[in-house]
Amino acid sequence: MDKEIQKGKEHPLSILANQAFEVFSNLGFEIAAGPELESEWYNFDVLNVAKDHPARDMQDTFFIKAPGEIFVLRTHTTNVTARAIEKAGKEGRLPSAFISIGKVFRNEATDATHEMQFFQIDGTVVGENISIADLKGVLSDFYKKILGKNAEIEFRPSFFPFTEPSIEVWAKLGGKWLEMMGAGMLHPNVLRNCGLNPEKVQGFAFGGGLDRIAMIKWGIPDVRLFYQGDLRLNQF
Amino acid sequence: MKISYNWLKWYIPNAPEPEKLRDIFTYHLCEVEFLQKLGTGENTDWTFDLNILPNRAHDLLSHQGIARELASLLDIKFIDPTLKYKIPDSKPTNLRIEIKSDKCRRYLGRIVKNVKIGPPPDWVKAHLESIGQRSINNIVDAANIAMYDCGQPIHCFDLDKVSGNIIIRDAEDGEQITTLDNKQVKLTPQNLVIADGKNVLAIAGVKGGKIAEVDENTKNIIIEIANFDPTSIRKTAQAVNITTDAKKRFENDLSPELCDFAMKEISGLMLEYGFTDFQEVVDVYPAKQIERKISFSAEKISKILGMAVSVKEIENILERYNFQYKESSGKFEITVPMMRLDLTVQEDIAEEIGRVIGYDKIKPKIPKIDFRPRVDKTFSKIIWARNKLLQSGYSEVMTYTFRDNGEVEVLASASDKKFLRTNLADGLRESLKLNQINAPLLLNINKIKIFEIGTVFLKDREEIHVAYNEKEKIVEISLDKFVSEKLSPEEYGYFSAEKFLVLAPSRSQGSSKETFHSQIFKPWSVFPFIARDIAVWVPEDVLSQEVQKIIKDNVGELIVKGPELFDKFKKDGKISYAFNLVFQSYERTLTDTEINKIMTKITNKIKKKNGWQVR
Repeated sequence: MDKEIQKGKEHPLSILANQAFEVFSNLGFEIAAGPELESEWYNFDVLNVAKDHPARDMQDTFFIKAPGEIFVLRTHTTNVTARAIEKAGKEGRLPSAFISIGKVFRNEATDATHEMQFFQIDGTVVGENISIADLKGVLSDFYKKILGKNAEIEFRPSFFPFTEPSIEVWAKLGGKWLEMMGAGMLHPNVLRNCGLNPEKVQGFAFGGGLDRIAMIKWGIPDVRLFYQGDLRLNQF
Repeated sequence: MKISYNWLKWYIPNAPEPEKLRDIFTYHLCEVEFLQKLGTGENTDWTFDLNILPNRAHDLLSHQGIARELASLLDIKFIDPTLKYKIPDSKPTNLRIEIKSDKCRRYLGRIVKNVKIGPPPDWVKAHLESIGQRSINNIVDAANIAMYDCGQPIHCFDLDKVSGNIIIRDAEDGEQITTLDNKQVKLTPQNLVIADGKNVLAIAGVKGGKIAEVDENTKNIIIEIANFDPTSIRKTAQAVNITTDAKKRFENDLSPELCDFAMKEISGLMLEYGFTDFQEVVDVYPAKQIERKISFSAEKISKILGMAVSVKEIENILERYNFQYKESSGKFEITVPMMRLDLTVQEDIAEEIGRVIGYDKIKPKIPKIDFRPRVDKTFSKIIWARNKLLQSGYSEVMTYTFRDNGEVEVLASASDKKFLRTNLADGLRESLKLNQINAPLLLNINKIKIFEIGTVFLKDREEIHVAYNEKEKIVEISLDKFVSEKLSPEEYGYFSAEKFLVLAPSRSQGSSKETFHSQIFKPWSVFPFIARDIAVWVPEDVLSQEVQKIIKDNVGELIVKGPELFDKFKKDGKISYAFNLVFQSYERTLTDTEINKIMTKITNKIKKKNGWQVR
């Protein structure tokens, strides 16, 4: 039988990542990438997560067995955000906006909603007059484009060491409210650690699981299905 | 933290109904894990499980803290409990307290003599039960009630089991303690302890010891109310692997100023129990908490929130929260209440104002970002490589970063796979095997062609690799090499920003925009499948679709894939069509017998047609 080469099927997380990149690119965000094995500095300290502070318990961390400087498997892609705004500041390219999507790791027992590895989407906008109003505008736009026009989005108070004020983003789907993302205005300590002057610039940042969005969007019941290498997952 | 609604109402009798309160928590303070109704009739109570985050743990892991917060937030009456507790007449004391470590910031001790151990009053029991705690005895319960009420951990020692002064010091290397729950713990000088002249009585802020335990025969007690360095408590608790409610509060930092109220409260409770023999409080307070001031302007708050907040609105909130402040032409200087350790910079005030007003009041807008196209090299290479492989018929998989061997090891993993992968090939090989077994099930895939793009970890660096199969062989090369080898001359310049933005498909190859919002995942069966083929001779003018239809009409509901034409050829004026069929159930393992039955049924239908014959 004669057959043309049939295109392969893409992994659902790549489909979603590309869609997310498109939404943010259209708003003027630059795409950034960074290492998966990260120094403790960029994963925690630069983000105002002090050593020996209970806030470190908010993320179960994989530490790397090695002599010398302490390395971790990044627990979020906020490390990429930090590196990107540091570089943009040095190059005098503010205001700037960055988006990154990458694999992150958490040291916890796995089940249908927890996995040791998953993907996170992380972004930031830094400039002179960037506010929570902008944060709300950008993230509402993103979730409506990803989850559909009818998705309801809410912003609730929260706490993260790297943001002040801190906010959680919730979405209502199928009659149920679900936590989608952590966000907030970059803490002045973070801006300072990245070489920026918090008196002159401010910005917002956000981060959340891509796997979670995919599960909610397509009704995928178990996060572990993403990493089995099973082509039956590639349905879209 | 579990919070009892009735308990809150002691302080805020005008509190809104529980359901309403849940929304208030959610939109102005913190997440509510659940709200549960307890009991019936007059004994009805509700328990809120609040997810108090680390920045407010120092004041909100307590009923009073929550009540104060709500009173300010909602501008409702707060009944100050201080007046409720009568101050007992006190006798002079011989209690001596020595602080020998700067990790102890304050220590209050009080001896109470002639106590009687027994069950607590009913209300104490009910309060503890409403937040999921068990009553132990009246003394321990009093300490717990005070902690869940005001947030200050309290410990009681049996006075008669203590010899000499109370000493707060670093442990000696190798010193031991048996904890209240009979755990043997070996200590180091990094651990702060409460000791007497002879023994270690408690691991400070973490857990009490057996030696001076209050038991049913206890007659005289020492009440301990102290404040410790949070980092020290956290490190010690981690080192000895003990977590307690006290530790949780201390590691989040508490105001040493809280000690006074806690002493008043527990003394008052004991007075209510009928104990009268109180001695004076001994208060050693070497590290007095310093008052903090924060300056900010209404303009900056408005700039952070992205919403104009007036001086008047700010003043109104500051007054409700009992902040002392000075204001002149929009510039504020406030004195932070001692209990609010979380407030240090103007951004903290922006959060206070923002959450009190409600983030829903801020109008969303889209920032105008001056778009200067720049492309991340790594990202564009990944996109290019992925599209290249997809177009060549390869499907994408993702496998685990964790393996049971490698060059980089993680510490204390929750899994048995402690190493990071050094290659993609091992994972891809497993994926290939799995998919080859499932090949008959895979729609539109005849030969298994898969790839993964991902990071591998070598001793001194991480690298992004591309791996794919050529039949049974796995090919793996670095992303850089893959791109430089496969890039055609027309695609040069792809990785410059301008070209990339034009050439790179912004959407995936796989699915179209139209279906992006309508697709739903179809779960697959975990039971084995059975694959069958059927080939049929028919007259030359019969189309394959006709044969396919007959099969389809008779195949039943267990078919998950097919009938799919996979072969045809002509001979002697006849044509042969061959089809695949795959059967699988979502509920059970199928048997050959039942599939044979289905096949026989199809065969019989075909035979009835003139000139048709199953091969």
